[in-house]
Amino acid sequence: MSEETAAKQALLEERSRALFQDSVERIDMRTRSRLTQARHAALEAAERARPRAWFMRLPVLTSAAGVAAAMVLGVSLWLHAPVAHHGAVSADAASFEDLDIVAASDNSQDNVEMLQNDLDFYAWADKAAGEEPSA
Amino acid sequence: MSGFGTLTAAWMVADGPAPATRGVVLEQTRALDKFLAEIERRAFRMAQVALRDPDDAMDAVQDAMLKLARNYATRPSAEWRPLFYRILENGIRDLQRRRTVRKRFMTWLPGPKEDPDHEAQDPLDSVADNAPAVPDVLMQHQAMQKLEASLRELPARQREAFMLRNFEGLDVAETAMAMGCSEGSVKTHYSRAVHTLREQLGEVW
Repeated sequence: MSEETAAKQALLEERSRALFQDSVERIDMRTRSRLTQARHAALEAAERARPRAWFMRLPVLTSAAGVAAAMVLGVSLWLHAPVAHHGAVSADAASFEDLDIVAASDNSQDNVEMLQNDLDFYAWADKAAGEEPSA
Repeated sequence: MSGFGTLTAAWMVADGPAPATRGVVLEQTRALDKFLAEIERRAFRMAQVALRDPDDAMDAVQDAMLKLARNYATRPSAEWRPLFYRILENGIRDLQRRRTVRKRFMTWLPGPKEDPDHEAQDPLDSVADNAPAVPDVLMQHQAMQKLEASLRELPARQREAFMLRNFEGLDVAETAMAMGCSEGSVKTHYSRAVHTLREQLGEVW
C-alpha cells in the first residue's frame, strides 16, 4: 500500500469514526432512557439466572424433600396394600359370615339352638381337658 | 418452627450467606452494568445503521444484553465485548432475514403494497423548523447520512468488520471472535469495506 493510499484510508477511518461518535452523542433522551431500562432488565435477568448457594435454596429444598417423601410413602403403601383374593377369606370374615348365615336362614331358631349346643360342647371339652391330668 | 428450622435460621444469621461469594457477585454485577452502560449507545447506533428502524435496533440491543447477562455474565469480562457483538450481529441478521420473508409474503397479498421497512411518518416531521440551522451540525448530519447509506450498501460481513474495527475499536482477534470467522477473513472484509467506502464517498468527503 502506497503512503498516499494509507493516508487516505487513515483519513476515512478517522472521519467516519468522528461522525459516528458524534451521532452517538446526539442520541435523544427517550432512547437513552430505554437503553438504561434494557440494561437494568438484563442485570435482573442475570441475577435470576445465577446459580445460588445451597443454603439460599434451603426452603425450596425442604419443600421438595417433603413432597418427595410423601410420594415415596404413597407409592410404598400402594404397592404393599393387602390384596383381596377371590376364594380366600380371613378368619374374622368367616365368623361374621357364619353369623349371617345363621341369622338369615328360614329356620333361624333351630340354627341358633345348634350354635348354642356347639358352644356348650366346646365349653365342656375345654373343662374336660383342664381336669384330664388328675384322672 | 421445627428444631431443624431454628438451627438453620440461627446458623444463617451467625455466619451470613457466604460473604466472599456475595462480594464476588456484587462486583460482577457492577462490572457488567458498567460494561453495558459503556457500549449500549454505540451498539444501538450500529444496530440502527444496519436495520434503519430504531425500534428494531432497540429490540436487537435489548435482546443481546439479556442473552449476554443470562448466559455469559460469569465469563471473564475481557470476553464480554466480542461475545456481546456476536450476539448482536446474530440478532441483526435474524431481524433482516425475518424482514425479507415478510417482504416476500407482502408481495403475495392482494391490496396496496406497502413497504414494511417504511416508517410511519410523524406529521410533525414535515413541519419546517424555524430555528436557524447550524451549518456545522447540518454538514455533519448530512455526512453521517451519506456514510450510513454507504455502509448499508456494503455486504453484511464487510459492514460488520468495518463497524466493529473502526467504530467499536475491536482488534482483529476480537473482531474475528465477534464475527465467528478467521482473522484473515476479518482483514479481507475490512480492507474491501474501506476500499468500497472510499470509492462511494469520494475524495472530498
